[in-house]
Amino acid sequence: MITGGIDVGSLSSEAVLLKGGEILSYSIIDTGADARKAAEQVYQAALERAGLESSEVDAVVATGYGRLVVPFAAKQVTEISCHARGAFFLFPEVRTVIDIGGQDSKVIRIDGRGNVVDFMMNDKCAAGTGRFLEVIARALELSVAELGMEAEKATRVAEISSMCTVFAESEVVSLIAQGVPRPEIVRGLHQAIAERTAGLAQRLGVVPQVVMTGGVAKNSGVVAALSQSLGVKVLVPQEPQIVGALGAALLAQKVVQS
Amino acid sequence: MDLYEFMRGMLRGQRWGKVLSSPLTYQLVEKALLLARGGFRWRATYLMGRFALTQTRRAYTGKVPVVWTSAFFPVEIVWGLGLCPFSPEVAAAFITSLGFVDRALNRADQDGYSRDLCSFHRCIAGAAADGYLPAPAALVASTHLCDGAPLLFQNLAGHYQVPYLLLDVPYQSTPEAERYVADQLAGIWNRLSEIAGRRPDPSSLARAIDYSNQFRSHLEAVNALRCRVPAPIQGSEMLNYLYVFFAGQGHEEAAAVFGCLARELEDAAGCEDRERFRLLWLHLKPYHRGELMHFLEEAGCSIAFEEMSYVYWPPLDPERPFHSLARKVLSHFAYKPLQRRVAVVDALARKYRVDGIVHFSHWGCRQSCGGSLILRDALQEKGWPVLLLDGDCLDERNEAPGAVLTRAQAFLEVLEGRKAACGGMGEQ
Repeated sequence: MITGGIDVGSLSSEAVLLKGGEILSYSIIDTGADARKAAEQVYQAALERAGLESSEVDAVVATGYGRLVVPFAAKQVTEISCHARGAFFLFPEVRTVIDIGGQDSKVIRIDGRGNVVDFMMNDKCAAGTGRFLEVIARALELSVAELGMEAEKATRVAEISSMCTVFAESEVVSLIAQGVPRPEIVRGLHQAIAERTAGLAQRLGVVPQVVMTGGVAKNSGVVAALSQSLGVKVLVPQEPQIVGALGAALLAQKVVQS
Repeated sequence: MDLYEFMRGMLRGQRWGKVLSSPLTYQLVEKALLLARGGFRWRATYLMGRFALTQTRRAYTGKVPVVWTSAFFPVEIVWGLGLCPFSPEVAAAFITSLGFVDRALNRADQDGYSRDLCSFHRCIAGAAADGYLPAPAALVASTHLCDGAPLLFQNLAGHYQVPYLLLDVPYQSTPEAERYVADQLAGIWNRLSEIAGRRPDPSSLARAIDYSNQFRSHLEAVNALRCRVPAPIQGSEMLNYLYVFFAGQGHEEAAAVFGCLARELEDAAGCEDRERFRLLWLHLKPYHRGELMHFLEEAGCSIAFEEMSYVYWPPLDPERPFHSLARKVLSHFAYKPLQRRVAVVDALARKYRVDGIVHFSHWGCRQSCGGSLILRDALQEKGWPVLLLDGDCLDERNEAPGAVLTRAQAFLEVLEGRKAACGGMGEQ
């Protein structure tokens, strides 16, 4: 049985093709302005990498904010269930999943069977999410991928008091103007995101193992700061950005079986 | 068809302020309602519509003194004087359902009302500033539960240059508190009669108390019938009966609405296809065009019961109207330590055999949302899945629609997973 999972997020879209327990291929692209087109493109890219035709795929499940615009999906499931399922597949001992995506963050508690027990999402602003990091990285003239490395150079942590994306950008510009070294600013940002996310997680209750998923998990600085804030080691999959799509592909197996 | 759909159809394309503030509108709509009465699922809906339209028309004609009452003020006092109560909070939900709320909210923005305030109150402030609400002879508000209304009413009393009367309700329910509230109610009754130039008539108040008791017993009958599975009526429909809940108690037509509904429910059968999940709904629902309620309905969710319909107060004594109204006010389960609300919600969830509990956390409503995290934790400890759904009953701009639907869908996935674990009824 070959199944697919498509995660259409606000910033990026991911597709995973799965055969049994083996990932055949995956792809990641920017979502851009057209979520439907992004879904088709990312799926096509994954099919090409696996050397498959769409007719060979038994079922596709769509997730993410654009899940309703994937015309070839057999079912739409929220990213909350999909991240839980994907993380559980990769880390069977996981009980808490922290997903920081492009425009929101979620904390998900799961049981010993990978089912969601409870969850919490951040409020309606994009504070502390991928979009936040993207805006701040631009203000610092860095790429998002460089942020983690930059933070490692810091010997001190600059204090960032605002978590509003717009105000934080202004605050960062002021810190630059005051001559605060860039690594310290980046470290301060990571600290601020970690504290905000830890607050959300602690409201739900943190049970180890804790796994972080979503694009922001690629930032080692945020992961380190989050581990410190939570007081537990935060595990990160090899490719955290595809965990939602992986979970969707796993749920597509159930669609085929039902 | 629900009443709001009917009204939207009638008023589509009209200039909102002019239309809403004209008594002729309500007269015409009332006539159209009579012709369309067969299109409503429940005759009770027609009765409520007729009652609300008649009273609103009465308020706009200005022939009878209009008294604005806050949502939790015991309105029996006003009916008992033969005056015309007007519930601006219900009017705000009505304005929203008709699709006119943006203009009122924009006016409130312009006048400096913060967007962090409750949108019911911002809508009222905006509509009042634009002159589209019936001019009051007095405004009365109670301090229990809603802390925004007394302040808004005080503000608006200045705007209209009319008296503002406050019912101060202590937090603790003691005999002294009951006397204190009863004395204030007697004072308000006398003051309103002076303002209206009417002689207070105890027999008229006793009649209002009697109607209020009839309302109560009919509502209890409705609630008893709603224990059936599948649910004979949806909570989202009950949440459209705001007018009778907040403005009608003490009037015979409000009692007749639920008397009629109770008779209709006796023979009504629910729909099993809509019982994939039974939910208990806490607080109000969105009255704007958002998709949440439609989404839940499409997903096969049945709102088996809603907190608003719970009869929390004892029967009133027509011989001691002020004392029994004081007891009613003081007995509100949400104006107590949070454990009381937890106990009530837990009991309702058991009684109506729900799968999960949804708390619609209306932006800016401190009385309902302030303790929501503790409420959630306490109910989860009792084994109930709980969703705190952040949204706004009136102001769509305060909601992220995608996030609201994602949370709702994810909650249903949690419920599905629980059913699968309990007996293979579903799967995540």
